[in-house]
Amino acid sequence: MLSVKDLHVHYGKIHAVRGVSFHVEEKEIVSIVGANGAGKSTIMWTLAHVLKPSSGEITFLGLPLPEKPHEVVHSGMCLVPERRRLFGALTVSENLVMGAYMRKDAEGIRRDMERTFELFPVLKGRLNQVAGTLSGGEQQMLAIARALMSSPRMMLLDEPSLGLAPILVDRLMDAIVALRESGMTILMVEQNADRALEISDRAYVLEVGTIIMEGSGKDLLDDPVVRKAYLGELA
Amino acid sequence: MFLQTLFTGLSVGGIYALMAVGYSLIFSILNFSNFAHGSVIMLGAYMGLGLASKFGLKLGFVVAGAMAGGGLLAVLNERLAYRKLRHRNAPSLYLMISAMGCSVFLENMVYVTIGSRFYAFPEFFTRRVVTFLGSSVSVMDLFALAFSLLAIGALGLFLARSRTGIAIRAGVCDMTMCSLMGVDTDRLVALVFLLAGALGGLAGTFMGVRYLVYPTMGWITNKAYIAAVIGGLGSLLGAIVGGVILGVVETFISAYVSSILRDVFSFTILIALLVCMPNGLFGKSMEERV
Repeated sequence: MLSVKDLHVHYGKIHAVRGVSFHVEEKEIVSIVGANGAGKSTIMWTLAHVLKPSSGEITFLGLPLPEKPHEVVHSGMCLVPERRRLFGALTVSENLVMGAYMRKDAEGIRRDMERTFELFPVLKGRLNQVAGTLSGGEQQMLAIARALMSSPRMMLLDEPSLGLAPILVDRLMDAIVALRESGMTILMVEQNADRALEISDRAYVLEVGTIIMEGSGKDLLDDPVVRKAYLGELA
Repeated sequence: MFLQTLFTGLSVGGIYALMAVGYSLIFSILNFSNFAHGSVIMLGAYMGLGLASKFGLKLGFVVAGAMAGGGLLAVLNERLAYRKLRHRNAPSLYLMISAMGCSVFLENMVYVTIGSRFYAFPEFFTRRVVTFLGSSVSVMDLFALAFSLLAIGALGLFLARSRTGIAIRAGVCDMTMCSLMGVDTDRLVALVFLLAGALGGLAGTFMGVRYLVYPTMGWITNKAYIAAVIGGLGSLLGAIVGGVILGVVETFISAYVSSILRDVFSFTILIALLVCMPNGLFGKSMEERV
């Protein structure tokens, strides 16, 4: 579904992503794990085409990635960035309207709104609340809900568990699994590697802009090197 | 006398509010002071003047024409002078300098092509007045006030309710995220300039009718800047309230103190506010914006 070949990205003079290749198949949950500064978020912003690659090839649904960020969303891929980046001064319902901005099918929007409330019931009671006043967990739910409203084929989740209490991380991971059950393809990057690997079909380990390891989520979870480097376990 | 001054003040304030809202709208979405806004207002006035004196059109058509012209000019201005800079993520100082360049360019183009003469609008209502509670109020003032209220009200409703209006407010929060919602941000910015320019054209026409039309009349946007600062930069409600307050206060100063002291007073307010209350009445904290 998504294929990335030999991707290089520069941030000014910093060579942040150095020849990364990976792929995501339909209805997979794929994770990229790695330490802070490994280039995970850079990859995500490049897939959303807010950052431009210096070289490399990105194809989504068999076509080259569209040039402009809004065209990427139209092609069916939606990024939920790190720290959620909600429209803080807008209400919850206005945030959801923005999520569905590019759609014309009122009926479909209404149906997706209902589906979103099934997934995140807490949002339903807060439609007229200003998004900036939600709690961290609620904000993350809204960020995902907002992205869902664009009815994407594939979602990019950047550090979805960041700043959430453990109980909320559980609920979030359940929600991500539920999304996949309903046919969504998901690529996520996480520092919270063990939680991400538990629910991932496959995963890549990124270190200073290069992929050093790949495998099924379970294999990586059991791998002593990964356990030592990213799960904080003493060997 | 009091009531008459109040109506004149409200009408001037309405015009300031029109200018300030356009200026504030652009400031809030692109975070820079669009100094070319005054030139758009000036050229809007010339367009209105042309439609009124060359073609002898009625006020409604003159206003519609000036709004359309001002809007298109502002869009063109953004397309040619700002868009490339935005795409390069240039600092907002560069945008501001580019805006100053546009302002000087447009003003001098008017000198070269039309000349430095002062023009007066033909009389739309031949100084007609209505008597209201014992005071005579100029019909033109009432029209200016009504058009300003109507235009600002329509804009407010559009921003609050429509999908595109929500997108503009979302863009004010976070432009990058707006593009990640599938919004073509270049088109959104163009639309903001269209709206600001249209309000500018309307303001320019009424300025021209009230005073005269001349190449440097765009400097009146300094008043819009003061209005925006009173209300709080980037806040639309603030721009409206600030504009009306400034217009009314200025008119009272002219009427009861001295018309020479009017601008001295306005700029004293500006400096005092910047020093003591930089966020104005409704502004967001400046640290957050910069």
